[in-house]
Order: sequence, then structure tokens, then C-alpha cells
Amino acid sequence: MTMQEDHKDCFVLEGKMALPNQYFAGRLGSRFLIAIRDRKKIMGLKCNQCGKTFVPPREYCEKCWTKIADNWVELGTEGELVNFTVVRYGDRHLPKKPPYILGQIRLDGADTPLVHIVEGIDPREVESGIRVKAVFAAKTTNTIMDIDHFEPV
Amino acid sequence: MTEYFGTTVADIFATMPKRFKPEEAKEVDIAIGYEATGEGGGKWKATIKHGTLKVETVDGDLTGCKTTIHTDAETFVGVTLGKIGALDALSSQKLRVAGDPKFLMLLLPKIFTPYAAPEKKPVAVTARDIITTIAERFRPEKAEGVAMTIGYDLTGEGGGRWTIVIRDGKCAVRGGLADPLTVKMTMEAKTYTGMMVGTIEAVTAFTSGMVKIEGDMAAAGATAKFFRKYVVPGATEAEELISLRVTNAIEQRFATGPVMGRWFAGLREKKFLANRCPKCGRTQIPPREICAWCRVRVHEFVEVGPKGVVTHFDIVYFASPDPLTGAVRDTPYATAYVVFDGSTEREAVTMDLKKEDIPRLKEGARVRPVWAEVTTGSYRDLIGVALDEQEESL
Repeated sequence: MTMQEDHKDCFVLEGKMALPNQYFAGRLGSRFLIAIRDRKKIMGLKCNQCGKTFVPPREYCEKCWTKIADNWVELGTEGELVNFTVVRYGDRHLPKKPPYILGQIRLDGADTPLVHIVEGIDPREVESGIRVKAVFAAKTTNTIMDIDHFEPV
Repeated sequence: MTEYFGTTVADIFATMPKRFKPEEAKEVDIAIGYEATGEGGGKWKATIKHGTLKVETVDGDLTGCKTTIHTDAETFVGVTLGKIGALDALSSQKLRVAGDPKFLMLLLPKIFTPYAAPEKKPVAVTARDIITTIAERFRPEKAEGVAMTIGYDLTGEGGGRWTIVIRDGKCAVRGGLADPLTVKMTMEAKTYTGMMVGTIEAVTAFTSGMVKIEGDMAAAGATAKFFRKYVVPGATEAEELISLRVTNAIEQRFATGPVMGRWFAGLREKKFLANRCPKCGRTQIPPREICAWCRVRVHEFVEVGPKGVVTHFDIVYFASPDPLTGAVRDTPYATAYVVFDGSTEREAVTMDLKKEDIPRLKEGARVRPVWAEVTTGSYRDLIGVALDEQEESL
């Protein structure tokens, strides 16, 4: 059954809901970001017990629960792209225009990968195992985007 | 000597004799060797025998010690002060004990009172102390091409008048107020020192009127970046912590459909359109496609109001954020339940009540609608209701 409807008085109402948020990077997160921002250095935390080095920083070793919060080590700003995905959809909250590569980069000296954007290589040609280096942002924002992106060495 | 956690390794050994409890150590006969590596480290030997203690520094090897402790200076101080857990330090190999660690951990707390770092007296900083360091804190690279004279008129105890001149990548401080000034800031001296040492938030001071600004407001706000942060002499600088404030917006679109649409079309004409159930006769407001009681389609629209009567109301004092802006809502605000003239009796609609009318609001009060200047067919067309003055005065 089709219903005859009068659409003369149909409205679309626009609304906007604002969600004010505060995000605290934490003590370790702050030191990590400040090192990137001020010294262009990427720092990790090393567990002396397991010998594993974590980045981004975490307070406790995930394997043996040793507190590693003070055991900062400097990592290289270069590393290996161990995995990646190509982001092919665009949305306003996303940092770049699609398509762009979101990679997992294991920095020299680290055992865990850091997720960041890889540029300077065509998404069709990118493959795991290539060497990439960090390019630091000229304008800093106190976020992980103080590393602007990684690019092939 | 290098300090860790506000104290040095040497401090700890120097206070050992004072902290020693001879009566607890009558049975003890041991020589403990300490090796602290890194800056501020060294070697020490503590000999405890029949209630006596001898502490000496050692050059070369630690000989004749039954137990030796090896660590870096920072860990040694940290463990002594309890800032670093002894077990953590042992398990992470930062602290190594040759001998019986368990015996040591039981013995040492028994025969020594805990070491406490000497308390540092907070340094009283005056505005003058801070102002005089301005030239050395100047960052020429941040003030390229900047030429301004900033006057400070600091009132109250420890105050005074100064002028800071920034020109050609140089900065100078002069006593007194120059003329002309790019900007002049007047405040109590304690406000200034508070802002500089970080006990008063600058934004708060500026917005709350603690600081009076004459001249170029933008220049006043920009000055901070020309200088490195002031650090109280002898104080360790507070760790910078990052906190980000972000306001995310969710954009929404709501399609009214034809029935609710008639309600908004009515608002555009400054009319309230309800629809009447063919079965029970009640006037649904806002209108709905189906009568929720009788479950039948409703077709007939009727105009109600525009005036009505308040059946009951809420006055809200809780300052909740407005979800549309994030700003704290102005309190108190009232929500009145209004039955419009011509409605069936139980069809109350919630309406915002004009703030000024809240004190006079009563159940049974007559109200009239307050419309927006321009009505477009939106929920913004109706601002709310106000007490109907004409009827009030009758």
C-alpha cells in the first residue's frame, strides 16, 4: 500500500552538539611528548628484567610487571615499517586526506611498534620491511603529531 | 655534590652516626661496604661492632667487608629515601648486594633511624628579584622584529615601577615608567610574583581583573613568549605535564517528517498546532501520527493557545553544561509545564520560562509565548514562555 504524503511541511533541523573534553597525557606521556617537541628525540622505556623496550611509554613491563617508569632510553628516529594499512576513506577527524598510509614502525632500539603516518611513498608501492625515518613537525601541538610523519630513508 | 631527590650520597653517610642506635646494635659485628657509581657517588665503609659505628670513605677496593652494596648514586639515594622500592631496585639489578641481602634489609632499619632529606626553606621571591632576571631570560629568537615598551606598575609590598624595553632583538629593564608605553600593566606585586612562580594562573589573573591593562591588549598577552620561564633559585622546576583541551562537535540533522513538520510550520507562523484524535478527542501537542492511547491514525490539526496555564514546574539550580556550547548554563532556570488554551486537559508541554519571572511563578499562572525575532520553522522559533502581565494585573 502506498500512502499519499504531503511533504510541504517536512523540515530538516540542523543541530550541533559540543563535547568539551580534557585529555591528560599522564606523567610518562608528557615526558614522551616533550622529548619529541623540544629535543626531537623519541624516548622509550626499557625493562631491564626482560630486556624489552616499549614505545609509546608505559609504567610497567607488560611481561613481568617490573616498574620501568624511570628507565628511559633514547631510541633512534629511524626504524623498520613492520606493518601498515592504507586508509582510504576521508573524515574530518582524520589527520590526512585519503589515501594515506598508517604504519607500525619499530624504531631502532625498540621492541614494540609505534603507529604513525608514512608519507613519501605511493600507497600502491609500500611494503613491510622498508626503512623509514621520522620527520618532525615545524609547528608543535603537544601531541604525537609533533612527529609530522615517517618517510622512507 | 650531585643531588638526587634533593639530597646527596655524602649527606646520607655524614648523618649515619647521628642516626645510629647503639643499643640495637650491641650484638652486631659487621663491616658493610658501599659502592655508589655515577656522579656524586663514591665508596664508603661502615663498621659496626658492639654498639659502635665507624663510617669512612674508601679509595680503591672495599676490603674486609662481609657484605657489599653496589649501585648507582641515584638509586642509592632513592632507595634510602623510599622513593625507589628496594625490592624493585634489587630485581631490576640496579642494586646489587654481595652477601646476604635479606639479612641487611632486616638489620639496617633496626639499627638506624631513617634518613630524612634536610628541608629546604621556600625562598621568598620578590617582584624585584623576578624583574631583574628578565634581561637574562630574554629569548631574542622569539622577539624578532618586535619593538615595544612594557610598563609594570606593581602595587603593595615589594612592588615598584619598571619598564621593559624590547627593541632590535635586545631587552633592557629600567626603573620607573617610560612614556610612551606600548602597554601598561597594573597589579599587586604579589599577583605578579604569583603568576611568575606559577601559583596564580595568568589567564585567571587577566580575566578576573587582578591585572589592569592599559594600551595594547595583544602585546600584553604576547610578552610571555619572549622570555624563558622564571625559576625560583634553588627550586627544582616543576615537571611539565601535558593536558589538551578539545571541544569536539557532533553535527546532527533531524528530519521532522510530515506530522511533526506541521508543528514547526506552525511555529513559523507563531501558532501552536496540535492534532486531535478521532477516537478519544485529545489534542496531541506536539502532534504525532498515531494517538498513543487509541492506536489510530490522527489527521485533524487544531490550533491551540497561544496562551496557556502552568500546571507545575521545576526550578533547576544545578549548573549543568549546555550540550550545545559546553558553557555552564545560567542558573536558576525554570521548566514550566503548560497546557495551552483549547488543549484537552492533560496535554502539558514543557517550556522554558523567562528568567526574570521565576520568583513570581506559581501553579496556575497564565503564560504567553515569547517568539524569536525571525521565525524559520525550527525549535529556535519559540524562546519560551513568560508570565502574562495583562492577565496578572487583572
